[in-house]
Amino acid sequence: MKLKGHKINGGKAEGEAIVSQLPFSYLGDIDPTTGKVPVKGHDLEGQSLAGKIFVFRTGKGSTLGATVAYWAKQANNTPKAMICIEAEPVIAMAAIMPDIPMVDRLDKNPLEAIETGDYVKVDGDAGTVEVIKKAKA
Amino acid sequence: MFLTKEEQEMCEGKYGPGTERAMKMLVKYGEAFDAEKMVPVKSGHVLSDPYDWVSQMTEEVDRMRIFTTTHSLYPRAQWWRKMGIDEENSRAYTQDYDELFKEYDRLECVPAATCVPYLIGNLVKMGDHFSWPGSSGIVTVNSLLGGRGNRDASPTTWLSAITGRTPNMLLHKKENRYGQILVELDNLDLENFTFADYGTLGYYIGGIAGVKNVVIDGVPDSTSFEHMKFLLSPLPVSGAVALCHVVGVTPEAPTLEEALLGRKPEERVTVGQKEFREAYDSLNTAKSDEVDLVVFGCPHCSIMEIKEIASLLRDKKISGNVRLWVSTAHQIYALAERAGYVDAIEKAGGTVITGGCVGPGLEGPLREGVNVVATNSARAAHYIVRGGGNPIAAKYGSTKDCIDSALTGKWRAR
Repeated sequence: MKLKGHKINGGKAEGEAIVSQLPFSYLGDIDPTTGKVPVKGHDLEGQSLAGKIFVFRTGKGSTLGATVAYWAKQANNTPKAMICIEAEPVIAMAAIMPDIPMVDRLDKNPLEAIETGDYVKVDGDAGTVEVIKKAKA
Repeated sequence: MFLTKEEQEMCEGKYGPGTERAMKMLVKYGEAFDAEKMVPVKSGHVLSDPYDWVSQMTEEVDRMRIFTTTHSLYPRAQWWRKMGIDEENSRAYTQDYDELFKEYDRLECVPAATCVPYLIGNLVKMGDHFSWPGSSGIVTVNSLLGGRGNRDASPTTWLSAITGRTPNMLLHKKENRYGQILVELDNLDLENFTFADYGTLGYYIGGIAGVKNVVIDGVPDSTSFEHMKFLLSPLPVSGAVALCHVVGVTPEAPTLEEALLGRKPEERVTVGQKEFREAYDSLNTAKSDEVDLVVFGCPHCSIMEIKEIASLLRDKKISGNVRLWVSTAHQIYALAERAGYVDAIEKAGGTVITGGCVGPGLEGPLREGVNVVATNSARAAHYIVRGGGNPIAAKYGSTKDCIDSALTGKWRAR
């Protein structure tokens, strides 16, 4: 399945998807020293975003978010690429400053089209996402 | 995106590699939101972003292109002894700033070290574009002064200070500044609301508004600037609000129709006693009434707030088991000292500090020995209990409730 959307930050990346239904902040929702989500009750609690294609609703929270994303990137603990329904200013800079490919406003809701474990190819410049569904168990 | 000749030259390196990188990054940022052009920014404000990144953006930049102040920091070592904390402990937390401070000076940033730049002369008039970090300043200036700024991430504000530009998008455009959620107030005694009552209201509204623009109808014009500061500053704590019109009070909302820019609200919400109580209880997380620490100054205290604190403490003595910290900007401190307020607070056993954050910045050794903090700030009550390290719970109430708890060591409010 191919989805067409809109560039937030360029670059290509592919890998396994990890999907959250929630808005996300790099300040609080990720431990930059491990890449894991430390928040109790979060739908990705305890899971690592590092090296994954991270699919989520939108950004939220502190204006320090992009800075934390930069630290996490230096420690290789960020997702390889990000996909969300629609970006807001802090999450957009959290892609641009550490240079993580990111797209939003896809022609299908990514929270429905993509499931955790799917293999996803993101082309930030073209604003496209290719989804290869995981084999059904 | 359309760029002026000068903006194009910035992208081509005419003003050096730092400006080139900063402008190119701003263009990317603008393209992410389909901005058609840049707008000139009049007011800058920056914080301590990673030095290795900052130094790439400021390479061959002689000075900031716009008037730029600096944001508050982790409290500096000079205050630690007065705050009752081992100075040795502070080294790991403060020495990282040395390089950055030299860079601030070189770029001619005004070393305000405050989260209330609008109270110390970084003023924005209606319609002016600004790019600041610090969510409380952003929502206050957008709402109360009619300045135009987005909830920019802190690195974005460096790019704007270096280039003097920001993409013309979102809240920089008047047509996007309409209220989306209409909040009506029911059976609340607003005429007698304390700062903390307004904070409770803001904290509740932020939680339901998320990123949307808010309009509040029903706030009496008798409220002070400080009441509005306490109402607005928690909106981006429980939510991510950057603009809140208060009908009949804030400049873009002389009437409800104008606050909505002639549209219909997307959502209507009524806040009454039940909602108010829910938010108040959620901020009062401490079960124990034994208070160890009282903090004022999140956001940094205005001179009016310090005057009130001093008058409540004058000729009294804080309980031996309690510490009391008041945080403000250098300039306001100088005035408070001249007026005798600092002396009144210190004679009672309190401490007034400048440049440091006692809300989200209450980390590490500053938390040692503290189990219960009392504060009149919803921001502080929210962030302190969520801070890393020693767990702390909060008592939240009026300035007077907090001072009473400092004098007796016990929280006695509702």
